[in-house]
Amino acid sequence: MKKEIAITAYKCKKCGKLHYPYHDRCLACKSREFEQIKPQGNAKLLTYTAIFNLPWGFDQRFLILGVAEFENKIKAMGQIKADSVDQLKVGMKMKPSWEPIRVQYGEDVYGLKFEPME
Amino acid sequence: MRDVAIIGAGMIPFGRRDEDTLMDMLAYASLKALDDAGLGDKSVDAVYVGNMGGGMLQRQTAIASSLVDRLNLMPAAAETVENGPASGGSAVKNGLLAVASGYYDYVLVVGGEKMREVTGWRATDFVATMTHPQAEYPYGITLPGMAGMFTRLYMEKYGVTREHLLAISLKNQEMGTLNPYAHVEMALDRGGIFDSPHAIVNNPTSADPLHLYDLCPVSDGAAALILCPLEMAKKLAKPPILIAGFGQATDTQTLQERDDPTDLKAVTLAAQKAFEMAKLKPGDIHVAELHDAFTILEIAESEHVGFFKKGEGGKAAAAGKTRLGGQMPINISGGLKARGHPVGATGVAQVVDIVFQLRHELPKNRQVQKAENGLTVNFGGFGNNVLAFVLRRVQS
Repeated sequence: MKKEIAITAYKCKKCGKLHYPYHDRCLACKSREFEQIKPQGNAKLLTYTAIFNLPWGFDQRFLILGVAEFENKIKAMGQIKADSVDQLKVGMKMKPSWEPIRVQYGEDVYGLKFEPME
Repeated sequence: MRDVAIIGAGMIPFGRRDEDTLMDMLAYASLKALDDAGLGDKSVDAVYVGNMGGGMLQRQTAIASSLVDRLNLMPAAAETVENGPASGGSAVKNGLLAVASGYYDYVLVVGGEKMREVTGWRATDFVATMTHPQAEYPYGITLPGMAGMFTRLYMEKYGVTREHLLAISLKNQEMGTLNPYAHVEMALDRGGIFDSPHAIVNNPTSADPLHLYDLCPVSDGAAALILCPLEMAKKLAKPPILIAGFGQATDTQTLQERDDPTDLKAVTLAAQKAFEMAKLKPGDIHVAELHDAFTILEIAESEHVGFFKKGEGGKAAAAGKTRLGGQMPINISGGLKARGHPVGATGVAQVVDIVFQLRHELPKNRQVQKAENGLTVNFGGFGNNVLAFVLRRVQS
């Protein structure tokens, strides 16, 4: 079953600046009141990399990661579902999903994944 | 505030030091700095230890308390300073402020890290723990991965090429062969790592678009300094080196929250503050040690501190302007790329290397002639906590 993308961004009630991840004071005006916002729609790839020296906890040959911007301007890091960076380019449209991103203590940890749509 | 001078500097060879514990390395470097300062069996008033991973990698905490015991520096005040890969720079800053304030006269600053006793898998994870615990770390991001994403943006915006990155690798590893303290003492061959059919085997992609030789090694090592008020330093045999300027600045933890992720604001601000305090400009600097954990960072930092305009740093490196004898010699020690990057040691080691330069005590093939002013930049996180020091040779 498709899972809802469980990240929350925070829009400053005073100046409208969007934050992800959470800050206790607005990065623009230092206000402390925020409206919770969910990411909407597809995303645009801003930058990406493929890493071949993985950290402890990742038993695979390589991992492709990137930062993408949702249609409502929330920017977030996620794992990218691609076989190679040759399939990617900055600015391309990505389909987001909420899926297992790693296993810790025998349990799946869920997070953002992006899949190229072009 | 009192002027503060460096009167002792010492370093042990960086690399894989299986025979030494973290405490051994900190003690050896400290003794070298104490001897260099001519303090003999005298004590110091305070000790600041820069270390990032003792708790995680060695399961050892309260490291400064252990070091004063090992060196019989009791009852000196002692603290461990943890600030990621800027721990060393932060330890220097704490020593500087303590002496400048007038509270302490003689201070030992030492930075050290032992990273090679765990697997590369564990070491990579240890360094990655400085990323955001919810928005970054769980995804498997590493610091090379952050650098890869930054490089892609920097290449696109400023036209940096792999050829520019190559110039940094070649220069710094060549200089490493001349530095007895360097971890990597192997010069690189352009064909072997860049433009031959074997290059992709010898120099595989590590964090696209960065390759293996764009990254610094994982190292063990330690470096140390002795600080005291400038007035007291003038009575000693070796030329005192004044800490003429210091600056520190921070930025958002995640790159994506920066208005322009290619803008290393904390580097610019830290350097500006250091220059302002020293009453110097970037053009007055004769030698610099920049935090080249990745080749792209030497280029980007050389622009952000004001040595070159944005987009010109890579071209300057490729044209040889940052080599010994060039317009602005950078990382003549070999930098993190060749000297190595034991994370807690780096910020101290950079200052030690500039002290050697400003005392004019290096062999000809490493000495920047008539160097009077030097700059260091110690880059924590991915540019979210940066320290810069301007050092000046004091005319006797």
